[in-house]
Amino acid sequence: MSTAIAIENLSISVKGKEILKNINFSLEAGRFLGIVGPNGGGKTTLVKIILGILKPSSGRVRVFGESPESLLTGDPVFGYLPQHQNIDPNFPATSLDVVLMGRYKKAGFLKWPGKKDRAKAMECLATMGVDSLSDIPYSNLSGGQQQRISIARALAGEPRILVLDEPSTGIDVVGQEDFYHLLKGLQKKMNLTILMVSHDIGTVTSYVDEISCLNINLYYHGNPLGALDEKVLKSLYGKSVDLLLHSDVCDKCERLRQE
Amino acid sequence: MIEVFSSPFMQKAFLVGILVSLLTGIISAFVVLRKMSFIGVGISHAAFGGVAIGFFTGINPLITAIIYSIMVAIGIESTGRRGRISEDTSIGIFYAVSMALGIALISLSAAYNIDLFGYLFGNILAITETEIYLTLFLSVAVAGVILMFLKEFFLITYNEELARVSGIRVKLLNTLFLVALSVTIVISIRIVGIILVSALLVIPGATARLFARNLLAMIAVSCISGAVSVVAGLLLSYQYNVAPGAAIVLTAAGIFFLSLLLKKRDWL
Repeated sequence: MSTAIAIENLSISVKGKEILKNINFSLEAGRFLGIVGPNGGGKTTLVKIILGILKPSSGRVRVFGESPESLLTGDPVFGYLPQHQNIDPNFPATSLDVVLMGRYKKAGFLKWPGKKDRAKAMECLATMGVDSLSDIPYSNLSGGQQQRISIARALAGEPRILVLDEPSTGIDVVGQEDFYHLLKGLQKKMNLTILMVSHDIGTVTSYVDEISCLNINLYYHGNPLGALDEKVLKSLYGKSVDLLLHSDVCDKCERLRQE
Repeated sequence: MIEVFSSPFMQKAFLVGILVSLLTGIISAFVVLRKMSFIGVGISHAAFGGVAIGFFTGINPLITAIIYSIMVAIGIESTGRRGRISEDTSIGIFYAVSMALGIALISLSAAYNIDLFGYLFGNILAITETEIYLTLFLSVAVAGVILMFLKEFFLITYNEELARVSGIRVKLLNTLFLVALSVTIVISIRIVGIILVSALLVIPGATARLFARNLLAMIAVSCISGAVSVVAGLLLSYQYNVAPGAAIVLTAAGIFFLSLLLKKRDWL
């Protein structure tokens, strides 16, 4: 198996403030990684560095052996889902239009997506179970449907790595379980490497292969069950960890640990 | 009413007006979606400083205004991006300073017979042959550049980070858009004037947003509503002897509010 992502001694400061400090980990291709941690812990920053749209202050990132910036041109490697709130829910486009955006890079300069791109877009909509919505304006869809359309868009570029930043925002709790299930299915079916940022450590642990606990430092990287250790959680979330341990979400962790 | 179409100065006004409305129609769709209307207001007022530089130095004011507006636009954007002061503060400073510079330069200029009123409130009926050719050339050039990168601008408008991950040079295209916006503003000044030009940048796009299913349709509706406003506005101005710039903007606003009403009542 090849290494999809390798990070060595990565640090970044913005305006003198340390955002990430000495991060080291690697991820094999085809694995599903969850990145968890409190808000402001540097999760999104880490993702942006991996995507090549933010430069680290020091350290090295390799994606399939190459620097992320060099991957920005050429065939798409990443399918990226930005945070949901950063996309205008009333953006004027039909679902198919949105998914076709994922084909723009493949179509090339001055060329618009053609028949083949449309077929691929419809296929991705079907994969996400939303092909019946292809003609519906994006603004008329529910948060969960919009999220599925966005993932179809990310898949349309035929990426090797799918990067999702807080994909469960705007989806109700019942929908979330289905959603993670769907991602798990995609990983197996398309042999995708998946990187998912989430603040919901409880649910995520039951679906991912590996977990990174990030709060400026990388407190833990490895088997998801190991992250539920009280020491890890305390260093990650500080004093608020008590609240977390007694919440419903963590009842599920408890059950999981006993299984 | 027929003679309105046969008088040469009205013919010129229609020609230039329609041309500029098609250009502002394209730009307006992006200005509305990217929430850039205040930057439009800022640049158009700043253009007054550029016009005054032209009066002061004796260079064609359209040309000095274009160069000056582009500099202000890039200045606003880069100070905003550095994050020390917010973009709206930056706009507020730049545009007031430019207006002040303009007033100072004009009071220093000996030539007080200049058509100041024409620049402030538009004077499409007094447009010269040279200005027509300049407008024609610039409109086609700006529209051409935007249409060439339309796909890229769509993606940037949808989400900038996503555009960057797709290999689009977002910073470069954003600067290009600011240049396009500045040029559009300056050539529109002849039509509706510095005070009203931001209306052409906002209202057609806002009207289009009410109906359009996708971005391409939004651009089309924006262009059509802009062109209709210019033609109807000019006719009203001719009929009732109202300043053309004001008539055009009021017509555009009328179309917008009518559309809003129809949309609310679900008649469209």
